[in-house]
Amino acid sequence: MIRLTGAVLVAAGAAWLGFQAASGLRKQVRAIREMAHGLSVLERELELNSPPLPRLLAQGEAHSQGPAKELFRGCARGMDNLARESFSALWRRLTGQLTGLGQEGQAILAPLGDTLGRYAGPRQLEALSAARRRLEELAAGLEEDSRRRGRVYQALGLSGGAFLVILLL
Amino acid sequence: MTQMNGSESYVQAARALPPRLRREALSLPEQEQSRAEELRLRVGWPMTALLEGEERSLGGPPVEEEELEQLVEIASHASLHTVLDQVRRGYLTMEGGHRIGLCGTAVSREGEIHALRALSSANLRVARQVKGAAAPVLDRLCPGGRLADTLILAPPGLGKTTLLRDLIRSVSQGEGCTPLRVSLADERGEIAALYNGRPQLEVGRRTDVAEGCPKAQGLMLLLRAMNPQVLAVDEITAPEDVQALITAAGCGVTLLATAHGEGRTGLERRPMYRPLLEEKLFRFLAQIRREGERYVYTVEELRT
Repeated sequence: MIRLTGAVLVAAGAAWLGFQAASGLRKQVRAIREMAHGLSVLERELELNSPPLPRLLAQGEAHSQGPAKELFRGCARGMDNLARESFSALWRRLTGQLTGLGQEGQAILAPLGDTLGRYAGPRQLEALSAARRRLEELAAGLEEDSRRRGRVYQALGLSGGAFLVILLL
Repeated sequence: MTQMNGSESYVQAARALPPRLRREALSLPEQEQSRAEELRLRVGWPMTALLEGEERSLGGPPVEEEELEQLVEIASHASLHTVLDQVRRGYLTMEGGHRIGLCGTAVSREGEIHALRALSSANLRVARQVKGAAAPVLDRLCPGGRLADTLILAPPGLGKTTLLRDLIRSVSQGEGCTPLRVSLADERGEIAALYNGRPQLEVGRRTDVAEGCPKAQGLMLLLRAMNPQVLAVDEITAPEDVQALITAAGCGVTLLATAHGEGRTGLERRPMYRPLLEEKLFRFLAQIRREGERYVYTVEELRT
């Protein structure tokens, strides 16, 4: 009975690992999509009202979710201290903390801090729009990947668990 | 709006400076802080303070170009796009009404300055409001308690803008005269110094401000849109400004304006200003001159 329980637990654990790996990919896709949506909020607001950056970020925070909300909130707060940390350094630092986006997502996002608030509105819009499109492409690619790899991870988890059970029994 | 004393205004202006330069600026004794008119930053040279017309080095290391960029970032709250029109004209207004003059390599497009790059100098002018500056002339300019058409005339640096601002504030608040609705065409943002839509220098509760647009257009816009009782403008410098004032006078508003000049005869000699006198646009000519350390105000009646 104990051996059977142990075997079931091992099988379930291995399957869980497989499902976790698959869910990690889905989470990354969701985070990137939320970030892309956050950038589209900034684009819209910039195009309509062209507000100062602190107000733009506050609007972004109010209408975004997940990592975008976190990034915009952090940047808006950090702007009280521009004498110590420039906006571009602040944006890069906070982008580096958004591990949920993955390295590729972070790499797309980080250079935006060099453009936001430093150029005329149209140039900022171009940069935002380009970053959003690249994030959407990345999310689409990862989604496809996650479907394929997710199934593999799930299958590997289940079959690995079954293999261990056979070995143990 | 809180009225600041001289050194508080200086400290507020110095907040726009990057940390190292801010420390240097604040190392100036408080008494000198309250008298400092400007902080001047030139790449490759130590920062200086302008005190009573003389530049004094603050003795620190030379200013770096990156520090000028940082100054612009701090003063604009990293929102250059919102002040780009000002920057193209060579300045930007920051919170408190302080003004940063900028100099560098101009990027031109279609004959107009599109941007400034490689900043070489900046001039941080500390804004200070002198409440009560209009007191010596207010009674004479308000016969029967109501402001009459007035032209303020003085050479540069004698306080025309300060007097105009305080006259606007007094009339708008009804301090010492009948309160009136004032519309102000503040082309260069030197009178009200709008920042995020709010005047940083007190111009009164009944004052509407149009900033950034050429004076003549601004005057017409205000006349159409704001139904003013008083129309105010700083520095009549072009024939279009004169024409706009003549049009406005025909609409029954009281005019309040300033012009550069040494006296009435000087004014009469300049063709651009002649129509103002010929049309008898102004009832009073208020002049400022300096006698030693003090300013003397005279009011001359041009029409009765």
